[in-house]
Amino acid sequence: MKKYLTWSLIFCFILFTGTLVIAMPQGEKKQDNIMVSIATDIGGLGDKSFNDGCYAGLEKAKDELGMEIKVVESKQMTDYVPNLSGLAEDGSKLVFAVGFLMADAILESAQHYPESYFAGIDIWIDPASAPKNVLGINYKEHESGYLAGIVAGLLTKEYVTISPKLNNNNVLGMVLGMDIPPVERYQAGFYAGVMSVNPDCTVISIVTGVFDDQAKGKEATFVLAEQGADIVFQIAGLTGLGVINGAKEKGIFAIGVDVDQNYIAPETVITSAEKGVTESTFLVIKSVKEGSFKGGQNLVFGLNEDSTGISPYHGFDSVIPQKVKDKVNQAISDIKSGKIVVPSTRVEAGYNQ
Amino acid sequence: MNDFFTLFNVELLHSTIRLSTPITLAAVGATICERAGIVNIAMEGLMLIGAFTAVFFAYITGNPWIGLLAAVIAGGIFSLLHAYATITLHLDHVVSGAVLNILALGLTNYLLILAFGHPGTSEPVPVSLAEYQFAVPFLSQIPVIGPVFFNQRPIVYMSFLLIIFFTLFLYRTKTGLHVRASGEHPLAMETIGVSVYRIRYLAVIISGLTSGLAGAFLSIENSNVFTSGMTGGRGFIALAANISGGWSAVGSFLASLFFGFAEAFQYKMQAARLLDLPSELFVMFPYIATVIAVAGLVRKSRPPKAVGLDFRIEKQAD
Repeated sequence: MKKYLTWSLIFCFILFTGTLVIAMPQGEKKQDNIMVSIATDIGGLGDKSFNDGCYAGLEKAKDELGMEIKVVESKQMTDYVPNLSGLAEDGSKLVFAVGFLMADAILESAQHYPESYFAGIDIWIDPASAPKNVLGINYKEHESGYLAGIVAGLLTKEYVTISPKLNNNNVLGMVLGMDIPPVERYQAGFYAGVMSVNPDCTVISIVTGVFDDQAKGKEATFVLAEQGADIVFQIAGLTGLGVINGAKEKGIFAIGVDVDQNYIAPETVITSAEKGVTESTFLVIKSVKEGSFKGGQNLVFGLNEDSTGISPYHGFDSVIPQKVKDKVNQAISDIKSGKIVVPSTRVEAGYNQ
Repeated sequence: MNDFFTLFNVELLHSTIRLSTPITLAAVGATICERAGIVNIAMEGLMLIGAFTAVFFAYITGNPWIGLLAAVIAGGIFSLLHAYATITLHLDHVVSGAVLNILALGLTNYLLILAFGHPGTSEPVPVSLAEYQFAVPFLSQIPVIGPVFFNQRPIVYMSFLLIIFFTLFLYRTKTGLHVRASGEHPLAMETIGVSVYRIRYLAVIISGLTSGLAGAFLSIENSNVFTSGMTGGRGFIALAANISGGWSAVGSFLASLFFGFAEAFQYKMQAARLLDLPSELFVMFPYIATVIAVAGLVRKSRPPKAVGLDFRIEKQAD
């Protein structure tokens, strides 16, 4: 027995010193460029939405600021903390956590790695209690939703004659991924936008509960179409691809989310409620490079920062009446001037769903 | 209350069929597999492989039927890994299945980038199987049931036919008898000179073929693109459908229809807004229904006696 113990101790010792010797040179390797990185949410890269938007911001920083960039994709929720910590461990100066669901993970990692900066997209941090190296980046999605709501609200009632895809039911639909704050902001804003131009409209929301299941998005859209909806606003990540395909199949319109999604179905997507993740990501990276990064606070990007709004109408540009466009432009200037304050929750919007 | 009954219409049945078809296909494969004594929790992964292969081949050839064929074959090939691990290498069935699920997710994500140059989603296929929807003459004229069951798309018809086929296969053919016997009493099979290994390989491959077909349904019939992890847990629901269906093809079909119905119904309930409940409760409904169905029905059904048990010829011969 004693012999085994001795041998195993020797073995452990060899393993230990061996690790040290091998690990040593790597630990001392110096990095010339500042490294910035992102840990994506489960939807991951290729969501054609905010994960991709954030990555585009990183690529821009790589090209324009000479940053070294790195991406890690989360496959499940338990990956969040290891991924964020791993990136900080690798010497990343700034780590982005993409998505509301990573809120707890970013705080935990930031506490363990005070040398790195952390920025959470769609994450609202508490300035009083959060570590000083964490920054929350949020968007006024409700502003984009509001503008999309104006377009949808006018088309579904006053201008049904412009396309055979519209009907006289005066019903609009929304398909949500999970019911989380950024999604709710879009929803509340959209509802408020519709109500501002078309108070009699029925707006139906369906929550699918997932951001990556097309088939569910499609079924939800079919149900909305059956209820008489002629325009469906999707706030559902990859699930939303099913919404757009479902709308196409049923011969109704869809409104895209986060980025301009017209290219997915040019005959179906009239516009998209955008949020400019790319630009804000780039700005935060720039602040790190310039040494002006200030954590322990939240940044909110909206119309005034050119980070929210709706996409061009593309093929519908000639179809959509000038009056609708004027209304949208009027709303943009009213929001900018503070004349209109767009509600950011269902309660504020008075949306009883 | 009147509003409540208007929810039950033909659209609801259509939705039920669309949502249950992939589950049905995977579940009937699981039935054959488990009847032969092999636990298969890898349907999720097999479906993913099928879904990706279908899109890839439909995209490069422009022909969805080639995509469909490729998906079925790919499912069969991938299931060979499970068969080899559990039958030849005597690995634990659950471990092998779990590993294959993870492997399939990683592999499809990797191949997606290789094939289409970007992660997340593939390019849409030029022609999807949705365009081959056709109505069976006469039968589709039957009120209510006609348009739902006999005005469908190819893979849905295939799922109906496969249910009939596998029911006959299990109970009316010699090979079917061998399949059932190797799940109940493999040693008896071996003594009469039938190779348990061969029968079990066959059963696992069958589950691979049907799961591949289920994947093709998701990607090139119900949609036109592949998205990463698009099966969304349906492989596991199929497992539950097989169990609550009492390890029979028809039972699996009925259980799958029930799960499809539960999901279709919750969307209708959300849209109709008859109940003022948080949306999370509606989203949970199909899963709660699954738990209740499994808990309620499973007590009445008996699993194959030797399911999940390792079978070694050498050992038994001593």
